[in-house]
Amino acid sequence: MNFEVAPTESVTRREFLAVILAGFGNELLPLTGDHGDEPCPKALLSVADKPMLDFPLSWLEQSGIEDVLLICPSSHKHAISHYVQSSSASFTSLNIDIQTYDESQEMSTGTCSILRHFSSRIQEDFVIMPCDFIPPPSLPLSTILNKFRTDAMSDGSIATTCWFENSKLDKGAFPEEWGPPPTPTTIVWDDTSGTLLYVDTLDDQDRNGQDFELRMSLLTRYPRARLSKKLQDSHVYVCKRSVLDVLQQKRHLDSLKEDFFPWLCKVQYQATKRGKYGHTLGVVSNSASHSMSMKHSTLYTDVPKARAFLDVRSHASSPAPQSEIGLSQPPSPTGSDDDESITVSLRIGLHVHRADSGYAVRTNNLQAYLEANRRFLSETSYVLPSDPTKRSLIDHKAAISADSAVGDFTRVEERASIKKSVIGKHCVIGKMAKIVGCVLLDHCVISDGARLEGCLLGGNTKVGTKSELKGCVTQAGYEVEEHANYRNEKLDVSDWNEGHQRSEDSEEEGEDDGDEEDDD
Amino acid sequence: MAPKPSSGKERLINEEEEVLQAVVLADSFNKRFKPLTTQKPRCLLPVCNAPLLDWTFESLALAGVQEIFVICRSHAELVKAAIKNSKWSKPSTGLKIVPIVTAKQTFSPGDAMRDIYTHGIITSDFVLVTGDLVSNVRIDEVIRAHKERRKHNKDAIMTMVVKESGARHRTRSRGDASVYVLDPETSECLHYEAVTGYPPKAHASIPREILDEHPEVEVRNDLIDCSIDVCSVEVPSLFQDNFDYGDIRRDFVHGVLTSDLLMKNIYCYIEKDGYAARVKDTRSYDSISKDILSRWTFPLVPDDNHPGGHSYEHLRGNKYIAKDNTVVLSRECQLGNNIMIGSNSQILGNAHILSSVLGQNCVIGPGTTIRNSYLFDGAVVGANCVINYSIVGAGAKILDGSHVENGCLITDGVVIGPQARLGPYQRLSTKRQHKPPSGDDSDNEDSDEDSEWDEVEANQPSDLLIKLGAESNALVWPADTVDEDEEVDELENPINQRLMRIGRLPFLELPQQSILHFPGGDDVSDLELSDLGSVTDSESESEFSSSENDDHLEINAASSTTSLPLSSTTNLVDKADSAAISEFHHEAIQSLERAFSEGHSVDNASVELKTLRMASNVPLRLVREAVIGFIVDRIKVVPGGGPEQRKEIATMVGRWGGLVDRIGGVDAVETVEILQSHCASSERLPLFGQILAAFYQDDIVEEDDIREWYSQRASRGDDVDAGLKENFKKCWTVGAHMIKQFDEQESEESDGDEDEEDEED
Repeated sequence: MNFEVAPTESVTRREFLAVILAGFGNELLPLTGDHGDEPCPKALLSVADKPMLDFPLSWLEQSGIEDVLLICPSSHKHAISHYVQSSSASFTSLNIDIQTYDESQEMSTGTCSILRHFSSRIQEDFVIMPCDFIPPPSLPLSTILNKFRTDAMSDGSIATTCWFENSKLDKGAFPEEWGPPPTPTTIVWDDTSGTLLYVDTLDDQDRNGQDFELRMSLLTRYPRARLSKKLQDSHVYVCKRSVLDVLQQKRHLDSLKEDFFPWLCKVQYQATKRGKYGHTLGVVSNSASHSMSMKHSTLYTDVPKARAFLDVRSHASSPAPQSEIGLSQPPSPTGSDDDESITVSLRIGLHVHRADSGYAVRTNNLQAYLEANRRFLSETSYVLPSDPTKRSLIDHKAAISADSAVGDFTRVEERASIKKSVIGKHCVIGKMAKIVGCVLLDHCVISDGARLEGCLLGGNTKVGTKSELKGCVTQAGYEVEEHANYRNEKLDVSDWNEGHQRSEDSEEEGEDDGDEEDDD
Repeated sequence: MAPKPSSGKERLINEEEEVLQAVVLADSFNKRFKPLTTQKPRCLLPVCNAPLLDWTFESLALAGVQEIFVICRSHAELVKAAIKNSKWSKPSTGLKIVPIVTAKQTFSPGDAMRDIYTHGIITSDFVLVTGDLVSNVRIDEVIRAHKERRKHNKDAIMTMVVKESGARHRTRSRGDASVYVLDPETSECLHYEAVTGYPPKAHASIPREILDEHPEVEVRNDLIDCSIDVCSVEVPSLFQDNFDYGDIRRDFVHGVLTSDLLMKNIYCYIEKDGYAARVKDTRSYDSISKDILSRWTFPLVPDDNHPGGHSYEHLRGNKYIAKDNTVVLSRECQLGNNIMIGSNSQILGNAHILSSVLGQNCVIGPGTTIRNSYLFDGAVVGANCVINYSIVGAGAKILDGSHVENGCLITDGVVIGPQARLGPYQRLSTKRQHKPPSGDDSDNEDSDEDSEWDEVEANQPSDLLIKLGAESNALVWPADTVDEDEEVDELENPINQRLMRIGRLPFLELPQQSILHFPGGDDVSDLELSDLGSVTDSESESEFSSSENDDHLEINAASSTTSLPLSSTTNLVDKADSAAISEFHHEAIQSLERAFSEGHSVDNASVELKTLRMASNVPLRLVREAVIGFIVDRIKVVPGGGPEQRKEIATMVGRWGGLVDRIGGVDAVETVEILQSHCASSERLPLFGQILAAFYQDDIVEEDDIREWYSQRASRGDDVDAGLKENFKKCWTVGAHMIKQFDEQESEESDGDEDEEDEED
């Protein structure tokens, strides 16, 4: 046996590169709206007590992936790199390379073109993930990676993705003004092999709003498919490098989630696409040693057939090969399916994460963001800080329920009441203020007697005395006047100059922005 | 064996409560076994040397059924006699079998169900099976599950038994399969999609609204429909209410599931261990025979519980030889695996028998090879013959040196050879014994049958004797008999039918890369189904378009060996069309006559015509022709002509002319054309101008329409027969006059217009 052919550098070569896409978070507006000239990157919005970006990074760290390519809009670079390098984010084992692309919040570039743009930096198999996926502890990234490793090795799977079951949102839990909850995507997958088969896209819905049109070739290949709209895409895609090459060919595709992967699902069972892209995709990465060992395996006989098949596919017009079969019938009527596993399947693996095995969420819209915060609250229990300086900030007569979280250096005044809420750092909660089921980002100031219920307040929001807000979302730096009363509104700053004028006298604003992240 | 009533006290209590009833549809309602079924019904064909019906009874007895109603239609006397003579009618069996003969007009299982309803024999939940079932499924388990479900949900009216297999199981018909959408927890069937092999189905359409109530469902393409249904009492009445339900699956199940009004549920029972399958075509006949030989149907196997009461010795390699020591095997003969040989049969010389079933009293000559074939009782094969993948009827004689290839069906009593050469998929029967005396005892179906016979006799190929051998008495059935006046069901599409025939399956390249081994030893065939769609060059949009034919199956049926030349199919379609047309014509005239004589309103008459048109699916032009022709013919010809005549025309057109535009489309130019051609061929030619004028007066045609008609080449009658040419020309001149009048009326400016048109012509 000649093992020298095995590529030696593979030992030292890194296996995966993680690509984190941190976008603007348009769905989270006005929370992600600019605060004056300062951006509020979505990746740095905090969930419970840490920025969102923390979750994917620590997820990566646990899985053993070291190299991270973090792609963010250029305007966000400063804030994000500040965060990444700051001491609070202690991801010592990760090499984070922050790259930027130019785009404005109004006109976002599709994820496909971003990936195409950076494809030269990606030389190995890669993991694409969003900055807003919060995986449960029961779902380590290595689960998905391992599935990809096995599938890619055994039958030439090209990618693995992960969909999780949506936790049920109560109707009416969120004001309708926040926009409709995201419509569920319907997918078809094969449960036994864990293969994603079909993703229902808007195009499909346009074409046939009545029915799902599933190809018979799909159903023949995977006769026991599942069809569900319970699942949500985690946007975590483990891909072979060759997927990028196909992405380069498919220049008109815009979004990975909505265009490219739904399309890529079809390659495995549509002959034309296979013929066309199979060669690009089907390069077996470790072919030499693998096929060698397979050749010598006694269990695995038909390697040449798989090869021959690819050849046949490449000249699609050549006559179909004839199989030689003995005359007598095999005694068992079970279908012969043993051939399939050895050919390059080009399939997309799918890991389905069920709701009962841990809460997963993508905090990419307001509902999910608030829900995620609430979830984390229910798992922690608040205790007053032990540090005397911090302790002294919280008045004895303030009532803070156990299912709340209050950030460091936040001052809570006399008889303020906080229930089921997340309060950021450096906030001020005035006397008699009442806060129920809210998320307050850092540096918020709630004046005396204000009442907040189910609100999301961006950083530096100021709420005037005795104002009442219910179900409102504010942009960073918004100022709610005194005795105001808002219900279910998205409050954003229309004119920054005006806001600045007014804010001048109340708080030292510019400084706040500067030390946003380096408190500890 | 005597059916043992299921053990357990619970069972006994149930028995007291209600008797478990089964309904057996002992008619197939299709002609897939023709001509084997010309002399006896399909349910009496032997499978592994026992009539199919006995396998069905045995299966039902095994499941604890106590009362069986057998619905028979064709060859009802034979079925009745068979039931009477079978062991099941002995008092000891504890099984009550009641044959019910339905009318010959029963054309579908739906009709049979309506018949059951009118008979009022069903008193409780019952089992509905077809008379060609082979099963070892514990149907009582299914019934228990069904009744349990009924306690909670009164709307669960039916439970279908489906067998889990694979998408390409040999017993799963490729021509007639189905996709089920099930709720994974409850197995409620949410959607049923029938799949035909040809025309190949590209997509399964699953209604989106299913997901509203069941957010996660399973789409299953790996289930064999056993056609065992446990039905509630109301099922026959549902058939009665919906008179258009024909097929139980395609119409009833589909109808119930898609209906917004019925609000009934149908469930599936997914059988994992048992075996159940229907002999619904010759291919499944083959695969089920093999399944029986391979003991998948245990305890219903030839060496134990053989429904025909024979006893066989089970030897290694699934060889079954009759036990009574009457089988004569020569020293040199070779027997392969999976064979069955009935008593008193003789295998002579160095004959080879491979994967085949031989009935009783068969004789196989020396040097003959029989492979994957089924010989019924008393078949005699001479020396040095080859029989592959075929079915040979009882008492048939295949004389020395004959070759019977791939997929032939040879009816009882046929003699072929010596040196006969049968191509693939030939079907032979004997000639009719007697010309039925017309009119006396032959009932409806016989005459139907006769027309078929006549057709067969009329279509005998000329080189018959060369192919069939000198001593043959056989008739060759034409490639496919799509009955002309019957509407061609998709399922019975001749090409689709080929997927259901016994024989080597065409090599099918699957939409994936896999190279598939068909268990049937399929290698090549004339019917090539392949999915290699064309690679589109303009990728950008077409990638998404559903029209991309990447997984379409291409049928290449016109290759040399085919027994199904496409031209013959098109001929048949043409014939069918012309039949439909003439029928339509007849009906339309009748309907118009009624309308005229009874003085219907134009509205009513037009509705009737529209319905007729839809029913016969004829083009609109035909309707127009019928209407115009009828109106013209109704106009009385007044000998003197003049104003009397004009008045006559005006009344007629005034009363009925509106109908021309009410038949579902307005095309005034066509109206003039038709009027012309009709007048040209009738004696009302002189009236053309007046009628046209009346049409013009009543705004049925406009000036522009007349001009356009006039400008058409065909209007001048250049293309018609010489006899009519003159008449056409006359009409055209009348038109020319008319246009001249128009021109004069309007202005003088369009003089050149007319000339121009002339030049164009």
